[in-house]
Amino acid sequence: MANKTRISGSDALLKSLMAEGTDVIFGYPGGQVIPLYDRLYDYKDKITHILTRHEQGAAHAAQGYARATGKVGVCISTSGPGATNLLTGIADAMLDSTPLVCITGQVPSSILGTDAFQEADIVSMSMPITKWNYQVTTASEIASAVAKAFYIARSGRPGPVLIDITKNAQVEEVDFAYRPCTGLRSYNPKPKMNCPTSEVVELINASKRPLILAGQGVKLAGAEQALIEFAEIGNIPVATTLMGISAIPNSHPLFVGNLGMHGNVAPNEMTQEADLLIAVGMRFSDRITGAIKDYAPNAKIIHIDIDPAELGKNLRCDIPVHADALDALEAFKVGLKYVERKEWFAFAKEKAEIEKENVKGFCGEARDGFITMSQVIQKLAEVEEANAVIVTDVGQNQMFSARYSKFNQTRSFITSGGLGTMGFGLPAAMGAKVGVPEREVVAVLGDGGFQMTMQELGTIMQNKIGVKILVLNNSYLGMVRQWQQLFFNSRYSFTELENPDFAKIAAAYNIPSKRIIKPEELESALREMKEAKGSYFLEVAVFPQENVFPMVPAGASLSNLLMSED
Amino acid sequence: MNKEYIIIAFTENQVGVLNRITIAYLRRKINIESLKVSETSMKGISMFVISAFTTEQTVQKLARAINNIVEVIQVSYYTPDELITQEIALYKISSKFFDKGGRIDSVSRELGARMIEISPGYVVMEKTGTREEIEELRNRLERQGVLQEFTRSGSVVLHRDSLGDILGFEQTKE
Repeated sequence: MANKTRISGSDALLKSLMAEGTDVIFGYPGGQVIPLYDRLYDYKDKITHILTRHEQGAAHAAQGYARATGKVGVCISTSGPGATNLLTGIADAMLDSTPLVCITGQVPSSILGTDAFQEADIVSMSMPITKWNYQVTTASEIASAVAKAFYIARSGRPGPVLIDITKNAQVEEVDFAYRPCTGLRSYNPKPKMNCPTSEVVELINASKRPLILAGQGVKLAGAEQALIEFAEIGNIPVATTLMGISAIPNSHPLFVGNLGMHGNVAPNEMTQEADLLIAVGMRFSDRITGAIKDYAPNAKIIHIDIDPAELGKNLRCDIPVHADALDALEAFKVGLKYVERKEWFAFAKEKAEIEKENVKGFCGEARDGFITMSQVIQKLAEVEEANAVIVTDVGQNQMFSARYSKFNQTRSFITSGGLGTMGFGLPAAMGAKVGVPEREVVAVLGDGGFQMTMQELGTIMQNKIGVKILVLNNSYLGMVRQWQQLFFNSRYSFTELENPDFAKIAAAYNIPSKRIIKPEELESALREMKEAKGSYFLEVAVFPQENVFPMVPAGASLSNLLMSED
Repeated sequence: MNKEYIIIAFTENQVGVLNRITIAYLRRKINIESLKVSETSMKGISMFVISAFTTEQTVQKLARAINNIVEVIQVSYYTPDELITQEIALYKISSKFFDKGGRIDSVSRELGARMIEISPGYVVMEKTGTREEIEELRNRLERQGVLQEFTRSGSVVLHRDSLGDILGFEQTKE
């Protein structure tokens, strides 16, 4: 235990954060955190504070940072509107199991509940979207609250936590000593595996048509290598969920593609034909399963998840495995046999061919003289040689990025999977770049989502964050437009955007930029972006009516996927 | 099919736990019929008894969601017939009920209730029993137009076997 020293609550908070390994904070000051910011001024050599342009940007940046590094992301806002502005990012982090510690200022404890200036009941508001939250009203609670917050955020199924600190607690003095939290009697984040391992392994060995569904849990458990070994030993094909993308390199011979609404034909059709699904750290979301009653009709389901509430939540489960993905994969490797499964792999290949022949955009071609989004992403993957971190916004830009990006390394695809938050892309990419400055980070955005958080260009400018920004501009809210075209008789109700001159906006922030419109300019523009030393803004005017295919219409069975508009 | 299910949760006695539990019901739009929170024989540990009408499938998910709350130690769910359930109710009865003769104590014996307070205008009776017994008396007094006020506690329950090895929770939380 450290020696006790008498310091202010704000110092206690900053020292506690440092004790947990925090060296970057994304935040925005305001009335109820001025004492904290005053102390932060003296920690500039130890903690990098990134001043965002909106608290939502701070929350998403902390998410991007956490997702790229595996560390806990930290953000700070003031009370009231500052705190409520964090909520979208917190909800996003909750659904995507992202470890965040969010610190909000609060009015002094003596006037709590009086509708004081900038008072908002953020503890109540954030309750359904945090893994845990707590209001600190005295300085003496700070160290233990921070210790608990980090422990809960990063253990088990990770998630966001919020600590609301009243102003008086920030200024009061306290005897400070930091003790990390190592356990709570009511919380068991590391379950012991108690399932009949040999029975599971026998089931896998006997399976003729098994399929591994790899979710983000693989990354969260650091089980990427174990997954690959497990798949290789058993000769089992691997498909990833949207959140699982980059857990296994695209080039791996056992990788058969992405699952779900805009996933690949092979893994979706394989799901329907499989006699065994081995789900690892994924939650059978409706975007993965389509109509649940028709999902995987022939398969037994082995579901591995660290969160017991997920087992059987959305889908029947034959063998629930409540365990950390790494522990389970290591255990199931023992006794696992290599099985040829020639017909099964031939089936996968045949379906991949069908996709190639039938899906427009699969080969990355231009259309009607326009660059297409699918073309941009495929060319980007080529130029970046599968080494970049791709951070997407939400919509068509996201689905094309998921379909056509290529990855060599884990934690390289960062997207808002569960909540589907437009505006996530730019700030999250910024946070990711701060977390992994040595890596190339590209934000792939649509013209709609970019404009939801484009004020963060100021953060990029001020902090010289070398993130590359690629805006696919089709002058539409493309995904909604696609649904309107396919399911609402092409009635484009309020999805057309009249956009500003984005290059001028980038120029105003001193970010070098280019706008291209001709297919022949694409490759050189992407190379120029890659070679830029700092941030770079590339706007590509794309074919406005491009749709993402294949597509499983909402609520339809995976067996009914659409390959094109016709 | 919707049936009554009783969730029993043991939790740390900490601020906010009640909110987190009721949120689990609210987000599934399930109305809570009755709720009782009290400290158990172990200091610092609270027991929640929550009754609601829902399906077995939903109550199972609900119990798991509640179990995921950091401060929750143990959760299980029951149908009423698995539990020994008693409630207490207080009935404020107009004095005119007793005008037709009959001494108050003999009336209260007949009703299976206990007299708590007598005033010129009313008599307060207490009754302990199952919800059905308590409701039956309430309906009877209402039909006669003599029930002025009525209040009921939540359920106090015991399982016929055991509510779980709460004392052993420090080893595991499943």
